[in-house]
Amino acid sequence: MNAVITLARKEVREAVNSTWLIAYAVLFTLLALGLSYLGERNLGSVGFENFSRTTASLLNLCLLLAPLAALTLGSGAIAGDRERGTLTYLLSQPLDRWELLIGKYLGLAASIALATTLGFGVAGVVIALQTSAMDLGTYLLFLALVLALIVVMTGIGLALSVVSKSRVQALGLAMLVWFVVAFVFDLVLIGMVSATSMHGGGLLAALLLNPIEIVRVLAIIQLEPDLQILGPFGSYLLERVGRTNATVILSAALLMWMALPVTVAAWLFESRED
Amino acid sequence: MEAPLASVRHAVSVRHLSKSYGSTRVLDDVSFDVRPGTCVALLGGNGAGKTTTLKCLLGVVPFQGDIEVEGVPVQSRGKDARRQIGYVPQIPAVGEQDTCSDALSFIAELRSVGADRVGWALRMADLTAQARMKVGELSGGMRQRLALAAALLSDPPVLLLDEPASSLDAHSRRELHEMIARLRGEGRTIILSTHVLDHLERLADQLLILDRGRLAFDGSVGELSSRVRGNRLVVNLNGNSPRDFMQALLVAGIGAERVTSAGLPWEEMLLAASTSDPATQEERS
Repeated sequence: MNAVITLARKEVREAVNSTWLIAYAVLFTLLALGLSYLGERNLGSVGFENFSRTTASLLNLCLLLAPLAALTLGSGAIAGDRERGTLTYLLSQPLDRWELLIGKYLGLAASIALATTLGFGVAGVVIALQTSAMDLGTYLLFLALVLALIVVMTGIGLALSVVSKSRVQALGLAMLVWFVVAFVFDLVLIGMVSATSMHGGGLLAALLLNPIEIVRVLAIIQLEPDLQILGPFGSYLLERVGRTNATVILSAALLMWMALPVTVAAWLFESRED
Repeated sequence: MEAPLASVRHAVSVRHLSKSYGSTRVLDDVSFDVRPGTCVALLGGNGAGKTTTLKCLLGVVPFQGDIEVEGVPVQSRGKDARRQIGYVPQIPAVGEQDTCSDALSFIAELRSVGADRVGWALRMADLTAQARMKVGELSGGMRQRLALAAALLSDPPVLLLDEPASSLDAHSRRELHEMIARLRGEGRTIILSTHVLDHLERLADQLLILDRGRLAFDGSVGELSSRVRGNRLVVNLNGNSPRDFMQALLVAGIGAERVTSAGLPWEEMLLAASTSDPATQEERS
């Protein structure tokens, strides 16, 4: 277990020393502030919105940006070491393969989570100082959901990294997965609903296949009491499933998504000829 | 009769080692023993299986056969076996952005070694002045010394060096050879893969020559020499045709029994020398 901590610490240290972490944190902060400021402008006045509106505005942005960062960085982990020749060297140390993988995974996920929290933290403080209506609990809950999504996507990126022959291949696969889960999945789902008149249960089951959608619906359940934004599916969740049950189902699915990719990655890594 | 595994005290015992990547057989039924405190040179051309042999000894790739390092079976107790081994890769693979001190501290932590060993390793590798320098700023020779220092952090009884001198200039190579000789003198077992012959005869107690995944020779430099019959003379023809040279020898009444082109890869010459059948030592021109 010491090896896992050592490897995770090294990943975090390298991330802190690299420019990407700072750039990512700054980008998140600026976007959080910008969205909040400009959101009010659309309503006729200029100024900072309160937390609930800000979190709602940030939702779509985060569901695009956080998975992209986690997938691309996760995809570079093992493939990058393999390409640089450092993988054999690390494996030549007295540690198990799973320890190497988990150490890197935890370190990477912690680094991206740290940058995201930093970005949201700065934005949160600035918005809190500018607005009177403060819904900090919702803001923090939303941050927690984004962090959970980061953990999921880092795991998927890591699994892609394990099966890829090169860093470029891993990055290509990561971009493809991001494009599918962030854009194509929605379009396919809309098409299926239109073509097959899919009912609420089917739609809920389909949503569980995409961690981004799980987080989106979980966030909306917390942010929007009447779930109007979800249309007929919102009514289905409220009336047939119930808010609590829906939260439990979606949270369980999210936990499963947090465990599954890294478990698959560890299993694949055990049998690799690195 | 072949000695059973670990019946004799060996630093490293390899029995019937085979390894394939897909349908390509990289190692084929390789067996050898290494006595403690000796230096073994693993020789062979590109694709002979040298690096794969080292990877199998480290247990970082699956393989068929049995390997024991200091009596620890690599397949079933890979982690414990790796505690017995210090590994120096062909390209020193520590973080470019890390300082020498940080790079060593990281390996020390992975090997559960006290921080005091980092200072010792820096002194041993004569890198104390470079402790705060980034690894990426070091010369090739310094990097190699750093990699060796990292391998020695936990004071392992066995050292594996993969082509340690391949990217070094003559001066750094000499330094490395002196260091290897010193480590062997301390009683460490050293296995190094190499294609650089300089001073090899002085360094290696045992030669293992791999040829397309098969062990073609296992013995001392002296045993190898005794297999090469007659004396050898290398003549620089300055671009002249070897055929003309042979003709000139004949005209002068000198029988050219065997002429070996110095341009051939030395591994090939060694392989030719390692065979006991003189008939296979073809005349080359």
